[in-house]
Amino acid sequence: MKYVIIGAGVAGIEAAKTIRQNDPAGEILMISADTCVHSRCMLHKYISGERDEEGLDFTEKDFFRRYQVEWKKGIRVQKISPDAKEIYLDSGDSVSYDKLLIAAGADSFIPPVGELRKASNVYGLRNLPDAQAIVKEARQAEQVLVIGSGLVGLDAAYGLLERGKKLTIVEMADRILPMQLDARAARAYQERFEKAGVRFVLERKASQAVCEADGKIHKVILDNGDEIPCDLIIVAAGVRSALACLEGSGIAAERGITVDASMKTSAPDIYAAGDITALSGIWPNAADQGRVAGKSMCGMNASYTDTYAVKNTINFFGLVTLCVGRIREEEGDQVQIREDRRQYKRIILRDGKVEGILFQGNIAGGGIWQYLIKNKLDISKIKKDVFDITYADFYHTGQRGTYQWVSE
Amino acid sequence: MKRIIVEYEKCDGCKNCSAACMQAHRETPGTIYDLDLTDPNNESRNFILKDGSGRYRPVFCRHCDEPECVKSCMSGALCKDPESGHVFYDETRCGSCFMCVMNCPFGVLKPDTVTQSKVIKCDFCVNSGGEPSCVASCPKKAIHVEEV
Repeated sequence: MKYVIIGAGVAGIEAAKTIRQNDPAGEILMISADTCVHSRCMLHKYISGERDEEGLDFTEKDFFRRYQVEWKKGIRVQKISPDAKEIYLDSGDSVSYDKLLIAAGADSFIPPVGELRKASNVYGLRNLPDAQAIVKEARQAEQVLVIGSGLVGLDAAYGLLERGKKLTIVEMADRILPMQLDARAARAYQERFEKAGVRFVLERKASQAVCEADGKIHKVILDNGDEIPCDLIIVAAGVRSALACLEGSGIAAERGITVDASMKTSAPDIYAAGDITALSGIWPNAADQGRVAGKSMCGMNASYTDTYAVKNTINFFGLVTLCVGRIREEEGDQVQIREDRRQYKRIILRDGKVEGILFQGNIAGGGIWQYLIKNKLDISKIKKDVFDITYADFYHTGQRGTYQWVSE
Repeated sequence: MKRIIVEYEKCDGCKNCSAACMQAHRETPGTIYDLDLTDPNNESRNFILKDGSGRYRPVFCRHCDEPECVKSCMSGALCKDPESGHVFYDETRCGSCFMCVMNCPFGVLKPDTVTQSKVIKCDFCVNSGGEPSCVASCPKKAIHVEEV
């Protein structure tokens, strides 16, 4: 059996591991544009200089040898032919497969504003080559403009602050991290970034940007006419699934590749996992999808069931935040807040169930809230302040000393 | 693998296990007699919690068969050791993202209180012979190690 995996992100790596655990003799070939296996969640630590390429590797030592995975790196897949069961590479070679996993991830989205897409000093932050290019460009840049204040935008800013750059961050919403935080929790981060020297421009959009003779954009004009001078621009406006290699293959896709619960695509013997499916943009879910795909490719029954993805952790300047579920308050919600010098906690309750939590400063033991929210457990009978609920209120021990959740 | 089995009916909430855990993981030299229980650097990896009726519910890391913490680790810092089956944490690889804290369904994990940069997690006292200090210190024998 010959397994081919496109992509060396966590979905691809977990799939390879799972396949090897279940098929000791099969041939596994991984093909990736990435030349270093790296955790995209740590790119800011590369930009800041805290870690080198090797320090971003999330796999165990000797991964490829230990799991007998052949790896062709620095190669892009140009075309997939499900009929011929072959894929065509930009190196001119073609590779045949018995089972194929497409886990090629996603690419930064650069919006068609002015000449952002044309300029040579505009970058997304998605892959190690992005981070490497940013570090290189930053050597001769004084002023950096970050468009978008989501997690990626702030990651980029955090890394570049360590390199002593002057930063301006433009955000459309009225607060930073608008997808994750409420105004109170967002302000805490904004204050910390500002103290470190970052200038925020909220409720504004970039509207014009023109390349100068050197091919770079040196100023961006906002929708109110203000001009922001810059030598380097980082665009953090989301990602799009890397679907280019599917062209002409007939594999069904919308925003991402369409898959069933076993991670199978519309084409026979072709599976997909990770960001390219657009099912979620977060690490644990991509890893899970990779494991499910790996099992399915080995002919086992597996399904991706833990699909809950409305969850994030944030850590800047040692201020940690956990947010799960709904952030926006709605009419009819019961909102509870607990705060003191060290922490801010907000819980959104509705009909006796927790629909969203936002914990900042103290997230100890916070894992239970994801379980409560995604399983929609009724907590109205628990005789406790909601903030004091712990796993003790659902405690049950099972066989072999495992813990289980029991709700009265 | 070896797991700490909890017989919660026997627990009387004395928290000797928590003190023993703090002592086992303290960074300063000394004995249990001079352990500073109020120093936030001394943190227990186990928790004696109470339910709504006041009953003790001891929460100890399960070193799960399919550990959610390992599955959510983006740096490779958390690994399930294939030999012992225990889940070990490598502070030097940790990226301090705390997705493990978010994903542990039993709320066992937490960031360290002082620096919020590393994870406080049971290591089965692997550095002191693998006999968990909590188990050795329980006067009610409410916890014991079993091959499961």
